[in-house]
Amino acid sequence: MVTALAILMAVYVHGQPGTLTGMVTDEQGNVLVGASVTIGGAVSPQITDHAGRFAFANLPSGNYTLRVTHVGYAEYIETIRFDGRKTELTIRLSAQATILEGATVIGKTETQQIREQAIRAVVVDTRAVAEQPTTLAELMNRAPGIRIRQSGGLGNAVDVSVNGFQGNSVQYFRDGIPLEYLGGGYGINNVPINLLERAEVYKGVVPVSLGGDALGGAINLVTRQHIGSMLDISYEVASFNTHIANLSAYHHTRSGWFVGFDAFYNYSDNDYNADVEVVNENANLVPATVPLFHNGYSHYFLETYAGVSNTSWTDELRFSVAHYNMDRESQHPALMTNPYGALTMHNKGWIPSLRYRKAFGAFAVDQFISYSAVDRSRIDTVRGTYNWYGDFTPHTGIGESPRPSLSAVDFNNIIARTNLGYRISESHSLNANIIINHNRRIGTDPYGLRFAGTDIDVLSKEAIYSKTIAGMSWESKWLDERLVNQLTAKFFRFNTRGINGFMANATDLDDYTTSENNNWGIGNAVKYTLGDRHLLRASVELTNRLPRENELFGDNDTRAPNFDLEPERSLNANFGYRYQSSQLTAEVGTFYRKTKGMILLVPVQPPFAQYQNLDSIRGYGVDIDLTYQIGQVLQLNTNATWQDNRMVDIGDGLYKWIEGTRLRNTPYFFANAAAVGNLGSVLSTNDKLKPYLHWNFIREFYLNHIPRDAEPDGFLGLFGQAKVPVTNVVPNQHLVSAGINYFFATQPISVAFEMKNIANSKLYDYYKIQRPGRSFHVKVNYHLTKKR
Amino acid sequence: MKMQFSRAAIALFTAAALFTACTKDDPAPGQDSETKYVLITLSDRVTGTKAGFISAFDEMPTGAISNATAGSLEGQGMGGWRTYGNNIYKMFRTEDYATGIEKINIAADGTVTAGQFISSKDQAAAAKYFGTGNFVIKDDDTGYYWDAAEPTKIQKFNPSSMTVSLGSIDLTEVLNERGTGEDGIKFRSAGQKLLAIKGNKLYANLTYAKNDASQIGFFDDFFPDVYIAVIDLQNETYEKTISIKNTGSITYINENHMYDYDTNGDLYIVCQGRSSIGGQSKIARIKANETDIDATWELDYAADYTDDYNGKFVGVFAKDGKLILTVNTEPLTGSNINSANIWKFYAVDVATKDFTEITGVPVGTNPGAAMAAVEVDGKVLLRGSTVGGENGYYEYNPSNQTATLAFSVNAGGAVSGFHKIEVQ
Repeated sequence: MVTALAILMAVYVHGQPGTLTGMVTDEQGNVLVGASVTIGGAVSPQITDHAGRFAFANLPSGNYTLRVTHVGYAEYIETIRFDGRKTELTIRLSAQATILEGATVIGKTETQQIREQAIRAVVVDTRAVAEQPTTLAELMNRAPGIRIRQSGGLGNAVDVSVNGFQGNSVQYFRDGIPLEYLGGGYGINNVPINLLERAEVYKGVVPVSLGGDALGGAINLVTRQHIGSMLDISYEVASFNTHIANLSAYHHTRSGWFVGFDAFYNYSDNDYNADVEVVNENANLVPATVPLFHNGYSHYFLETYAGVSNTSWTDELRFSVAHYNMDRESQHPALMTNPYGALTMHNKGWIPSLRYRKAFGAFAVDQFISYSAVDRSRIDTVRGTYNWYGDFTPHTGIGESPRPSLSAVDFNNIIARTNLGYRISESHSLNANIIINHNRRIGTDPYGLRFAGTDIDVLSKEAIYSKTIAGMSWESKWLDERLVNQLTAKFFRFNTRGINGFMANATDLDDYTTSENNNWGIGNAVKYTLGDRHLLRASVELTNRLPRENELFGDNDTRAPNFDLEPERSLNANFGYRYQSSQLTAEVGTFYRKTKGMILLVPVQPPFAQYQNLDSIRGYGVDIDLTYQIGQVLQLNTNATWQDNRMVDIGDGLYKWIEGTRLRNTPYFFANAAAVGNLGSVLSTNDKLKPYLHWNFIREFYLNHIPRDAEPDGFLGLFGQAKVPVTNVVPNQHLVSAGINYFFATQPISVAFEMKNIANSKLYDYYKIQRPGRSFHVKVNYHLTKKR
Repeated sequence: MKMQFSRAAIALFTAAALFTACTKDDPAPGQDSETKYVLITLSDRVTGTKAGFISAFDEMPTGAISNATAGSLEGQGMGGWRTYGNNIYKMFRTEDYATGIEKINIAADGTVTAGQFISSKDQAAAAKYFGTGNFVIKDDDTGYYWDAAEPTKIQKFNPSSMTVSLGSIDLTEVLNERGTGEDGIKFRSAGQKLLAIKGNKLYANLTYAKNDASQIGFFDDFFPDVYIAVIDLQNETYEKTISIKNTGSITYINENHMYDYDTNGDLYIVCQGRSSIGGQSKIARIKANETDIDATWELDYAADYTDDYNGKFVGVFAKDGKLILTVNTEPLTGSNINSANIWKFYAVDVATKDFTEITGVPVGTNPGAAMAAVEVDGKVLLRGSTVGGENGYYEYNPSNQTATLAFSVNAGGAVSGFHKIEVQ
């Protein structure tokens, strides 16, 4: 049980009207900046300043309903009697729901609500660590059941594995909208955590409101919520010439109009040392450690928005324009077998969007629409090659990769999302959601593929992909709201239009291939609360993952199109238990999955490969998460995830032996441990120091299938090594990072220092691509909130 | 405060100890034997990197066996190999699929390991221009190979020590004798696809490629004829250029068994034709005591097998005046060439060019890089591998053109090669 504590102190008597002042803090007494304080509609609300303070001047005496809100904390409500004397309040907000003497607290924090809803979500609280020089991917890797794999340093592509689902089986959203509308300019691999409130990771059933066709995993990035006017600036400088800057500003007028601006800039040379092999005089390969020399990344993202809120006709009308530009050097192909020294990738886009929200009594509507104009290009025109030392050797051929390129590919994407809510009664509500996503690709590449026997650029022929995902859910509460049930049904549809041609196939350039597919899904989630400490929940869902555009169209390189793909279908079941006390939070989650018709890349005609519906996977697993609070100065957290995802239904054919083998290139055990301190008044009164230590472990796993009976022995396969000499193994990995975060007492400034990979361990991801070694990071944050 | 931190430290230490207390299992003991039967299988359905296994057996396998055992080598580039005496060489490195020449080591206890690797002198060029490591071995100390780093030269290496620094044979001028100033020729090379030795002569194909991307030099001939440089190995000097008329795509790196020597020493060379799905495919011959293409004999896909150029020859095994071939039973397309049961075994009489179907071995998937026919212990074994799961080597009986299952493989992937060695 924790607390929201109000201490009312009468300082001295004064005539009427008077001044009501106060300070808002968290449970540890740390001031909370940006909290909203209201005392009724007749008086302008106040926002706490950098010292957590607020003031209502010239306030007539009378009864007021004091309401204090702050994102991440429980709302505080209390009826107070103001008699005109100058009054000082200290309000302590709690991160937990409780009822305390003398105060009435209603509801729970949004984070808490998400954690305790029927459909389980792991909430990565980015707001709580926004001042640290930490990436979103690193934060998510510390959560149970989730693995983020990043192919190299800052800015490189990431793949999220949730309960063994990965790749396109996991989908990404921003504030409930499919993230693809931002064209790659905003994602897990690049958005600074300062811009986020939290990240919600859904494992198993995905809520209807997200409107995705994820099989068993979805990640919703919730943007930072603003109140009043604010300015937030952060800058991080780190090893490998890394610079990350963030600027966020917001202003809200009394009349309800608001305007805001979010921007970030990422830059890194990513020139960390990597172990490679170089050729000696005998043409034998010998080990060498070299700095990566063509691995840089530069990216900016700007988004400005304006709108109006809390009027009679809208709760929020928001118009936004986003723009980004991303340039990336490519150091090597998919494996680190050879270097590139000139190949670059570029991606830029403009994305206007509009959102309207309004609740009419029991009915609520949330409408979003966006148009994305995205240009992508790949430049590989150098006439020569590089070695790992960066030395150049000229050749006559164009390009240093097998695929020379000077491409310019335009993607136009329209996403429309409508969400409707209707509250039937206090205990029953309906929610309906529909997303329409239309995508068009057309482009040029003078060095790109041509349709067989012609000089016609494959990219010059338009390709269309559109999908519609609709869903409806019914939430009902029973047994005095201790039992909550959510029944969902979803409809999936996609259709495509393009030319199904690649080398050596007879291709009719006037014959566009069309393909469409309709499917249904259904799911149910239930939550049961026992007392105020125990929570049980279970969910089951039959759902679909539609083929993606790149799987249908190919990639204009060695991935051939396949317009005959069908959706993957998966049956997922989850069961979990959560315990929470003032000191200990414990959560156990289990899952079962059976996925049919996995869309996998299959070699067809050299050098081509093609996505096909192929194998099935059956898996189950468990994750355990424990958090223990020791006093108010130290919090310990540990979690572990074990999962057993295996190939099934291979049939009696040539590859029958794969039956029962583990899902390849996928970790099956990983664990985290962390200690986070919280010290006050260290160098001066009311300053704050937060040291932290994180350890991450990943059990070795294999890039290819190995027979089941050759897997390591030991409990759950956690010990020993495979009984066949496996060449393609990613070894056990340990990552230890530590840092400190200092908050000045009198200034809205904090500084942070972190050392990542302290042991300089060899870390790998994505087919053994090496990750950076030890690195040093310094971050400065400035946050200013202005009263209205 | 101290107590709180102590508790935290103990918790972390305990967890660390739990997760790091892993021990290595001892390798399973093998049986020492000098003779080894070595099997390679390919399991690349969802990897794209030619993943698979190599195992060594003490005796000729029988019945159903696994090729993924305690002594097996797991890795990539298991699409095929070339053997020289008791040595096995692979053109793809087991660890990462890099192209070059990798020696496979077989220990007396049956453990198979990847040995030394000769890389391209330019790793990036090798990744761009396919074919580095295409090689032929003259004797224990000398072999020749192609390296994308210097595409117009033929490199020399020592197959015993797996080292180079022996120099090279420069054919740049020979390559430039034709197609001078021709913009349509994007790439020239010597020995990228064919390197064969017969009678102390080295035969190296001359590539004039139209493509400048993706498998440059393969299925993209600029000229309608294919050219072969003949080099006298006595002093490693260029002798002449010969040609095979009206065809294309001569062989395809040496892991694909697209040339072979008959018992009498005649050399048979497969040309796959105009594209990867065929057209003008044929087999040409250089007679044992000749150095020119035999103008009096060729096996033409359309003229001698079927009436249409709707497929191609993909390999050749020659013995006693007979060729053993696998030929497609359906017109080739991009989707059936490697994934459908369309490749049937035939015995072809060199003298009459009659095709006789070999029964008993299933119509299977493309042998491609695999060794479709091998001779071990005096027996000719045919690769039979189907999508449905038939997977093994079948012993060929030339007297009645039948084959019977010698052994099948139930784990590790599609059989790709089989060879007998004496451990050195």
